Amino acid sequence: MNILQLLKKRPSLIVYSGIAILAVLISNKLGITIDNLGQAWGNAGILWSEMFPPDFSVVTERASWTQTECTWSADWACSAGIHGLLETIEIAFLATLFGMLLSLPLSMMAAHNLSPIWLSTITRNVLAGLRVLPSLVWALIFVIMFGPGPLAGVLAMTLYTVGYLGKLQYEALEGVSRHPLEAARAMGLPRWQIARYFALPEASNAILSQILFMFEYNIRHGSVIGLVGAGGIGWYLNNYLGVFSRYDRALALIIVIYVAVVIIDQISLSIRHRFMDSETHAPRARWREIIPFFPQREV
Amino acid sequence: MERPVLTVRDASVGFERDSPLLIDVNLDLHPGEIIGVIGRSGIGKSTLLRTVAGLIAPISGKITAPTGRGEIGYIPQRLGLINYQTVGYNVMMGALPRAPLWQTLFSLPGIELRESARDAIDSVGLSDKVLDSISQLSGGQQQRVAIARSMVQQPTLLLADECLGELDSETAKEIIELIQKLAKEDNIAIMIVDHNPVRVATFCDRVLHVKGTRIEEVDV
Repeated sequence: MNILQLLKKRPSLIVYSGIAILAVLISNKLGITIDNLGQAWGNAGILWSEMFPPDFSVVTERASWTQTECTWSADWACSAGIHGLLETIEIAFLATLFGMLLSLPLSMMAAHNLSPIWLSTITRNVLAGLRVLPSLVWALIFVIMFGPGPLAGVLAMTLYTVGYLGKLQYEALEGVSRHPLEAARAMGLPRWQIARYFALPEASNAILSQILFMFEYNIRHGSVIGLVGAGGIGWYLNNYLGVFSRYDRALALIIVIYVAVVIIDQISLSIRHRFMDSETHAPRARWREIIPFFPQREV
Repeated sequence: MERPVLTVRDASVGFERDSPLLIDVNLDLHPGEIIGVIGRSGIGKSTLLRTVAGLIAPISGKITAPTGRGEIGYIPQRLGLINYQTVGYNVMMGALPRAPLWQTLFSLPGIELRESARDAIDSVGLSDKVLDSISQLSGGQQQRVAIARSMVQQPTLLLADECLGELDSETAKEIIELIQKLAKEDNIAIMIVDHNPVRVATFCDRVLHVKGTRIEEVDV
């Protein structure tokens, strides 16, 4: 069987071959060659030898060069690993909270089923604009404006959270059944009451789940924005990788971040499970347990 | 006779001007009167109801319905309840049009509104379900919640789309009694869409039959 016959029989091979040829051409253009990879392999060996074993003194010894003041008396609490990690979690918490408070009204304005088309179009464009830059670039901008530190981190991640969470939320709001909204519209209720009392409770479990996801996401990204000086454990990691060239300590910090992310993932997952039915994956009526709307208490 | 709550004159309803679902619709609905609308599925009964509710504009003709806040009550085909909220919450939503702005802003309804919600819940027999989620209720119980919401709302015109659904005859009878109570005791004009002509004839004052694109009144 010659090549032509083979291609006739398996036309998908043309597509696969095309993709493979394209990949080789792009790699050549970008200067990615086998030689480069071989060289990198050698550097990786050096880095590896300097990283192992990881130096866990980063979670036991007091760091005298913390970015923000540490007033705890225990040395471990003021170590680069623990102090930095706590700072990252704090930044993520504030950014998620502020982001949620700003994104909730914006998402109601952006939802097609709750707002006039002109308002939803403008709001969607604002939210899209906030998502254009990743949180790392926002962090760079705020570090230039406010100087290095957690403030820049909180502001950067808040903006990104508004853009990202706003989009998730308006999609959740648009996904609610039209029937309760029509019943409310027929009653002659104003738009804000329809959004607040009908659409929001109907989408509340999905929204709550998104907020938890965003918190988890912000903790992961909180480690990255520290690389540009916007606070958190990333700042310590950047110093160990750069100024101090202590790769063994950097590796220990990476392990700390990994363990923290795994633990927070699990906590977040179990909280989100409380709001979702395990069999049908449908939201459960649990929102009322967290935010007591008046009728539960009063009627 | 009292002035009609709803008047429809030479109205065409539907989504496309070139092919309306219903044409030449004419009807009057008086306070305390129950009108049943029957016809096969997809013929335009629900669209007529949504047009009367002001959710869709009529293609042509004139519809005069109450325009005040809370004057129209609408129970959609799937009842329009907030599934992830409680019975109490859903019934209380009927009080929103009557609540002063400050009460709705701070979610603090006055005692009168709370009492009317409790009375409505009691009268539909769901006193022990106030804190249950809608998704935990049976179909019949959900229908009662929708009726209780309308009781609290006290509209002048109530539009109910297939609110009897596929209920068993016992439960349907109970819901029909509640609907009759709304019409006779509270003087609410009710327009109800149903697919069961025999059932409609038992409790409606007048029955309209949708045939093709026309509506005609049938004897009950």
